[in-house]
Amino acid sequence: MSPRMRLWLVAAGGAGLAALLVAACLDLPRFGGDRHPCGDRAVEASLSRHTANTVASVTFDQRAFDTLGEMSILFAAVLGSVVLLRQTRDEHRARPEPAAVSRPVRRYALLVLPVALLTGLYVVAHGQVSPGGGFQGGVVAATALHLLYLGADYRALERVRPLAPYEAGDALAASAYLVTGLAALLAGSAFLANTLLPYGTFNTLASAGTVPLLNAAIGMEVACAVVVLLAGFLDQAVEIVDEGESGERHDDPGRPGKRERP
Amino acid sequence: MNGWILAAAVVLAAGLGATLRGVVTGPLRRRAAAQNLSTALACPALLLLAQGYARPAYVDLALVLAVLGPVGTLVFARLLADELADDPPHARTATFTAAALGAAVVVAVSVATGPGRALVKLLVIGALLVGGNLVASRALAGGMQEGRRD
Amino acid sequence: MTEAVIVVALLLVGACATAAVAVRDPVRQSLVLAVLGVVLAVLFTVLQAPDVGLSQLAVGSALTPLLLLLTVRKVRRRAQRAPDGPAGRRGREGGP
Repeated sequence: MSPRMRLWLVAAGGAGLAALLVAACLDLPRFGGDRHPCGDRAVEASLSRHTANTVASVTFDQRAFDTLGEMSILFAAVLGSVVLLRQTRDEHRARPEPAAVSRPVRRYALLVLPVALLTGLYVVAHGQVSPGGGFQGGVVAATALHLLYLGADYRALERVRPLAPYEAGDALAASAYLVTGLAALLAGSAFLANTLLPYGTFNTLASAGTVPLLNAAIGMEVACAVVVLLAGFLDQAVEIVDEGESGERHDDPGRPGKRERP
Repeated sequence: MNGWILAAAVVLAAGLGATLRGVVTGPLRRRAAAQNLSTALACPALLLLAQGYARPAYVDLALVLAVLGPVGTLVFARLLADELADDPPHARTATFTAAALGAAVVVAVSVATGPGRALVKLLVIGALLVGGNLVASRALAGGMQEGRRD
Repeated sequence: MTEAVIVVALLLVGACATAAVAVRDPVRQSLVLAVLGVVLAVLFTVLQAPDVGLSQLAVGSALTPLLLLLTVRKVRRRAQRAPDGPAGRRGREGGP
């Protein structure tokens, strides 16, 4: 396809999209008005299931099936990058030099690491009562682990991060989400319907039925997925070198952090 | 008229506006320092907004930013250490101004909140915010790699 | 007053997003992107969407810069091996 043709194609597609978006905007309720047809229904449904955070009710209850799709996208993306960033035959691993990080930074990293992990868990656990949830908390917790790379060096991170459990955790959490959905099906209602557990007391941690369970599954899935994703990038940037490149030292088969990828 | 939201708007317009200017112009050291300041100023703005909208749950955003903002700056300090070593940023005045602003906002919001669990959370955010940004700015200024070698 | 703060946040996002496109060097671009993440989170908050703002903060403040800078480091190291490449002169890479 010639560049000129491609430009025309983009212009035609863009114009069509713009026309549809403008048409959709004209049909929206007025900005700042008091008529919110979708919002009213979502809030009503969320209150009837004792979920204080309507957004959590929409993502993990009313549209839990969409979240399953989003989770699969993340899962597939991480799987794809693991395959792409694997160590190929013409690459080898060089052991990274230990980094000399200054004392205040090291202390800060070691001090904030548990605080950040706790913040991540807090955000996951309070998904049904306040803003946040599995995705946000999972990313915070996974980022927290990488303070070890920033505050010490890559080998310190590898010591607390044997990758196999994280890869297994990613898959397990994804199937936990599916199993929760199937359990509702077995109990006689629809797939992922929020009918399994009692709805509990409004605005407490034990409320909203299966929303906290699904939140926890997503939190674990996202945290494991981010750790695995970053491991691929870190391996490539820090350890894996091409044949011709000068590494510090050659492959060391006995090193604990090393693993085989499919 | 809500004074908290007005204060947040002023912090956003003046503070983040200035850091935005810093991050798109000038040498790398100025841009890195401006990135650090952007989180140090956005966090108090988020606290002011939470207070202004009377929604204590919005404080979680400030908490996450206070935890992860300095971590982001440490990422730059670590991975750009070679580029920054020739010409380390020294934004002393700006850093201390931002830290003082953060502390002042935390104190003001704490006084408005009164004692309780929310106060503890606010104080944790304040400590993380001020401490984190001072450490991160020191790391940017070449404090990442010197020091003890064992 | 609530409208004023929305206008301020929108202007900041507009300016920052334009700058993120206009800056060409990936390292400097990642700095602008980090600021854009924070500003976007503020915009989502003033539009009363704290869940989205929290996602933006979680991803944009540390994760995205880390992924971008690690990629730049790998690409530059590879370009250094072939010094006649366009990026070969620019990168200066030590051990991690």
